[in-house]
Amino acid sequence: MRRISVDIGGTFTDCFLVWDDERIEAKALTTHHNLSEGFLEALGAAAQDLGQGVDDVLSGVESVRYATTLGTNALIQRSGPKLGLITTLGYEDTIILGRGLQYGDGLTDLEKSDLPGADRPLPLIEPENIVGIRERVDHAGNVVVPADRDDIRAAVQRLVEQGVRGFVVVLLHSVMNPSHEDLVEEVVLDEYPGSYLGAFPIVCSHDVSLKKGEYARSMSTILDAYLHREMQHGLRSLERALRDRGYRRPMQIVHNSGGMSQLNRTHALQTVHAGPVAGLSAAEQVADELDVPELITVDMGGTSFDIGMVTGGGIRFYEFDPIVDRWRVQIPMVSMVALGAGGGSIASYDSTHHDIQVGPDSAGSDPGPACFDMGGRHPTVTDADLLLGYLDPDYYHGGELKLSRRRAEQAYKRLGKPLGLEPLEAAAAVRRIVDNNMAQGIFKEVALKGYDPRRFTILAYGGNGPTHACGFAEDLGVQRVLVPRNSAIFSAVGAGNMDQLHIHERSVYLSLYEALTQSLFTDYEVLNGHIDELRERGRKDIVRQGWASEDVEFRVEFDMRYGDQLQLTSMIVPFDRFTSARQVLDMIKRYHASYGERFGEGTQTPETGIKVNQIRVVSYVPLEKVVFRDSAPPGGVAGTGAMAADAGDGGSGGVATALAPAKLVKGTREAWFAGRPTETTVYDYAAIGPDDVIEGPALVEAPHTTFVVGPGWRLSQRDSYFIEMRHAA
Amino acid sequence: MATNPTTPDSTEDEAAALEAEVQEFLHKTVLYRGPDREIMRNHKPAPRTALEERAIAAGTDDLTKTIIRNRLQTSANEAKDMLMHIASAPSAKWGDLISGIFTASGDLAVASSSGVLIFSVLAGPPIKYILKHWKDEETVGVRDGDIFMHNDARFGNVHNTDQSCLMPVFHEGELIAWVGTIIHEGENGATEPGGMPSAAESPYDEGLKISPMKIGENFRLREDLVTYFQNSVRDPKLQLEDMRSRLAGTMRLRQRLLEAVEEYGRDAVIAVTRGTLEFTGAEVRRRLAAIPDGKRRVVRFCDNTLREPILLKINCTIEIKGDEMIIDLRGSGPELMNRAINTVLASLKGMIAQVFLTFVWPDLPRNQAAFEPVTVLTDEGSAFDCSAEVPNAVSMMTFFPSFSAVEHCLQKFLYNDKHTGDEAKSTEIHASWWPMINGFLFGGYTQHGYFVGNVMTDINGMGGGARSDRDGEHALAPIFCSMSDLGENEMVEDELPVLCLANRRIMRDNQGFGRFRGGHGHQQVMTFKDSPLWGWMAIAIGSKFPLALGLFGGYGSPCQPLMKVKGVNLLEAMREDRSLTVDDPVALMNERPFADAEYSTAHTGMQFEMAAPGEVYAMSQGGGGGYGDVLERDPEAVVRDLRRDLISAWTARSIYFVAVDAATGALDAAETERLRDEERRARLSRGVPFDEFEQAWTTDQPPAGLPYYGSWADRTVIHAGGPDVTMPADALQPVAML
Repeated sequence: MRRISVDIGGTFTDCFLVWDDERIEAKALTTHHNLSEGFLEALGAAAQDLGQGVDDVLSGVESVRYATTLGTNALIQRSGPKLGLITTLGYEDTIILGRGLQYGDGLTDLEKSDLPGADRPLPLIEPENIVGIRERVDHAGNVVVPADRDDIRAAVQRLVEQGVRGFVVVLLHSVMNPSHEDLVEEVVLDEYPGSYLGAFPIVCSHDVSLKKGEYARSMSTILDAYLHREMQHGLRSLERALRDRGYRRPMQIVHNSGGMSQLNRTHALQTVHAGPVAGLSAAEQVADELDVPELITVDMGGTSFDIGMVTGGGIRFYEFDPIVDRWRVQIPMVSMVALGAGGGSIASYDSTHHDIQVGPDSAGSDPGPACFDMGGRHPTVTDADLLLGYLDPDYYHGGELKLSRRRAEQAYKRLGKPLGLEPLEAAAAVRRIVDNNMAQGIFKEVALKGYDPRRFTILAYGGNGPTHACGFAEDLGVQRVLVPRNSAIFSAVGAGNMDQLHIHERSVYLSLYEALTQSLFTDYEVLNGHIDELRERGRKDIVRQGWASEDVEFRVEFDMRYGDQLQLTSMIVPFDRFTSARQVLDMIKRYHASYGERFGEGTQTPETGIKVNQIRVVSYVPLEKVVFRDSAPPGGVAGTGAMAADAGDGGSGGVATALAPAKLVKGTREAWFAGRPTETTVYDYAAIGPDDVIEGPALVEAPHTTFVVGPGWRLSQRDSYFIEMRHAA
Repeated sequence: MATNPTTPDSTEDEAAALEAEVQEFLHKTVLYRGPDREIMRNHKPAPRTALEERAIAAGTDDLTKTIIRNRLQTSANEAKDMLMHIASAPSAKWGDLISGIFTASGDLAVASSSGVLIFSVLAGPPIKYILKHWKDEETVGVRDGDIFMHNDARFGNVHNTDQSCLMPVFHEGELIAWVGTIIHEGENGATEPGGMPSAAESPYDEGLKISPMKIGENFRLREDLVTYFQNSVRDPKLQLEDMRSRLAGTMRLRQRLLEAVEEYGRDAVIAVTRGTLEFTGAEVRRRLAAIPDGKRRVVRFCDNTLREPILLKINCTIEIKGDEMIIDLRGSGPELMNRAINTVLASLKGMIAQVFLTFVWPDLPRNQAAFEPVTVLTDEGSAFDCSAEVPNAVSMMTFFPSFSAVEHCLQKFLYNDKHTGDEAKSTEIHASWWPMINGFLFGGYTQHGYFVGNVMTDINGMGGGARSDRDGEHALAPIFCSMSDLGENEMVEDELPVLCLANRRIMRDNQGFGRFRGGHGHQQVMTFKDSPLWGWMAIAIGSKFPLALGLFGGYGSPCQPLMKVKGVNLLEAMREDRSLTVDDPVALMNERPFADAEYSTAHTGMQFEMAAPGEVYAMSQGGGGGYGDVLERDPEAVVRDLRRDLISAWTARSIYFVAVDAATGALDAAETERLRDEERRARLSRGVPFDEFEQAWTTDQPPAGLPYYGSWADRTVIHAGGPDVTMPADALQPVAML
């Protein structure tokens, strides 16, 4: 196997190169002006490690997989094309009002609660560039008021005169009957053929989503059109750059649905959060290989704390109406919950309870924590970690960033003053609170999905994950934490493991059990027709990319509910086709069991009807996976200038256990454990071997992170690719 | 002389025994255990119990308490999120619900962060009622696994469309807490469908009236009672679904609470629930103390009973004295015997607490103690403190404008603090939010054959008030709930036979004008098809008297009527004639393009009315109040609003005094300056000294012919319909509307 996978983040471009039996990891700074520069620099570092040239590697690999959120800058800077929206008359302000609650989408609970302070985001389409046309289709797809060509022409003309550079068309119930949207497209192309309009996009909502919900479908369509240009521009130039260096195959784009596809089969919206989702994909592989069926993934960086879940059995948790930036959209996105607690989370005095609260405000990376000495004055979690001795001020990011203990102390002095706490005591309190907040956040999210988080293992990555993992795992009641070695590029590793995959879904209104007539569903032809339609769409998507029809596998899912519930529960359907009442009853029983497990036995209400409101077909081609087990990379992350430090020759004093050989010891320093400063041994991560065991309290330093091994915890290597921390209990 | 030393004692014993027997007899021999005045009039948390004293004395460290508090908050949020997932009531799906943990005495200590926070002061009384009346009653009792339910506002809750599920939590045999969930269900078997009957003329027309009662044991609902409740409403499906969903949410919260007890110990958890109440009350006192003492006063009016136009006075004076606040509503209008707009005092307090929790201090913990330092003064028997014998199903008509009165006065208190150190930690100073539920209720058969009755979620799109530095937001959220959802009409139309012909469009000129304008409301143009029987109703006031107030020179909200076009199937007509449209109700009513149709406008109170397919009913949510002088509004902002059709050319010219080039739509800066100078001079010429104004303006009596209810010159004299019918404020009688 030879493949390259890349994750382009806001700061770093991570590269994972698989070349036969070699696994090489590399990093470079992301070059936002031209992504290919950072890409090639990271790849160059990896190629150098391999002893090959970049051109040789590119011409020798079978695939390049690419994970990045495209067009983010266009969103932030509102620099996308000037679009016009054509919608049903009377619904012109749908995207302006955003179901009311749009003001809070993407914000913290406190911001959501503050109505007088609420502000909606700046619109992606100016209100004056939204026009309504006279038409109406009802819920079942019947035309109630026919669309009129002249009326459409006038609307289009008006938008063109206002200078729009592309059209988005969203008409009510077009998912049931797209003829009016098609007519608008026809009129636009008639009046303004391609030669006139050039590359102006015309995007109809039913081409982007077949799900009901006019606001979320509008935003999905608008975001897709808005990001399209930047995605095409960025990726085409990258593709050209790779072609110039010898790569001849199509580039594969990682999707937030947990799969990947070629560029020409990719909507821009499918790339949002693709990097974190790729990390979760790697976690699925870890779960499979290590036979750890239930994993909670925790990616804790400087400004974020993202959690995901792996539960085995092919179950993936999706957000079906995820929030992108400040907008609710309608794409199936692998569920990653951002809890908003990172190293930059700010601690403040809570006058109500006369104690400390941590977050939701964050110092971010600029100015960052006080100890960065870049202008930040607020006490943050990273400042606490420094004061408590967990971080070495001279070895943060492998020594690349010197931390100021004095700045951190000043910040914590201010925090502790109203509470009568010394800076160190305040820092200890912050540490305790933030770990617990994280545990609570994880608990709620996992419990809401119907699982007991205490049964899970935590897979921690990101720069701050290993520093806090023992703390929040303990509060969560979790006994075991895994950290992939070189977890700093874990998402790139995941991108290397994805399948070719497309998801198609549509809204339906089917009653598996109709309460009023006390009858089971029998219209199998209609149901099978929907499934066939979605399978065919998926099959075509994949076949167009060069796969044989017989390579494609399918998974059918229903989103079900009782009676008139709002929220739907996804169920995997074990049948390709429905032909008998037995199958309908089988689905009803499965749903009953799943619902009971999630919300409590006895709370099911099948008497009120059992409905299917969405049908989803996942079409995929399973591809060969990169195996982690026994495949540790040879020497850390290439290209950072911060390679693993040499193993020390043992520290003086310290509390190293007999289990940990002296060769691992870098030294000792005071760190806060069990409620007081404790002289603690510091170990060298790079020197840990397969038989080494380190007992907490201890610190283990790697260039990209510091493991804080709490009292009662043991750290060791697991299958050469992982660090494992286990609680003695 | 020798005496028998035991005689006097024996007599005393006998007397005491007799007295005890009498008391027991009187206590047991009660015709009807109705609403409990002692419970319902007291919104203060109960004193610490011995259990709480012991728990607090155990001395759990502060850090652990912080962690437990966060955990309980997370648990309450989890239960609420779960309930939103699985509940079926339209209002619940979009946010009109709450979940919470109560002390063993029944005080709400930890409520979910979002949801309807009015309940924070209202959810506890039913538990206190259960503890007082049923705990020791041998036929009822309170045991582990019991499930209680309640909906009648006279025992707590906002109105009887809200249904609760309450459950005691025992640990090692001792009652340590309660947990509960409440949902605005909608249909409740009242005289009109949808749960909020404006046609109700007595409490007995208001549908289900459930005093706090046990509906299940051993964590299971009693199916005979479930059937009884289903049998009492028009939508048995909804009743069943949500009785079970509320139970599921409540059980989850109980489980989480007991897990916390298991992990941290009972004393620690009890110390936290009690401590959270005490901390919150103390913090509100600290913030009140940071505001200079003083009084602010405002007079508001409810402009109809939903049946007929009246002016029902809200006489509001707010005083801050040290760390306490006194809200004095004495002198307000009397209760109406046969109209459902009256509110019980507890509901009024709940709504006013919402001012604190969302519109002044959204950072406060969500619990009952936020209102602890407040005293509310009312005239008993007024529409704002009604008796148990008058209907209250649409009490929002009186407590929503009361909310606005308090909201308005507090902004004036807080302005200086906000701009000089923000010691009181308030959120942004703002003009009034639109405080009314301008949306349709419905009833009838769906296209799927079910009979339903409920409310459209359009009520959630109330316009936001202008802020001190920027405009208000359009149709943002109702005053009773943040993050409430207008929903998706495609999904609404999947379930109901309605066609929302214009439903997400902002209404022109529907803003409180000002230097910063209020946010607009959105219009609703509704019809239906594919149903053999369908009808609409509306329960909103404010179509005559502006509900949202302007602040510091800003205008109040405009008024708008209910509009109807009947006698013609507009859908069929539009199919025939492609020039016809109905998306703009103002143009529809002014231009009357459908031949042979009946066009009418009315106030926004409409009893349930059967409609024919294709007939159109329309109204708009209201706008928020404006902030500051219209002459100070940036002329470019006026031009932008004009371009976006938020205002008419007339408003730009005649309200904002901004001149716009008719050909280009560009600002004419010089002409604008001239217009504004002219208006400033005109203002000076119109102005008179205050004494002169007062002398010309004030009268001793309300005008004859004005349906006036409330005090006029003297707070202690209450008018009941005009100048000649009066009552002393301390002896109010219900007023029968004819």
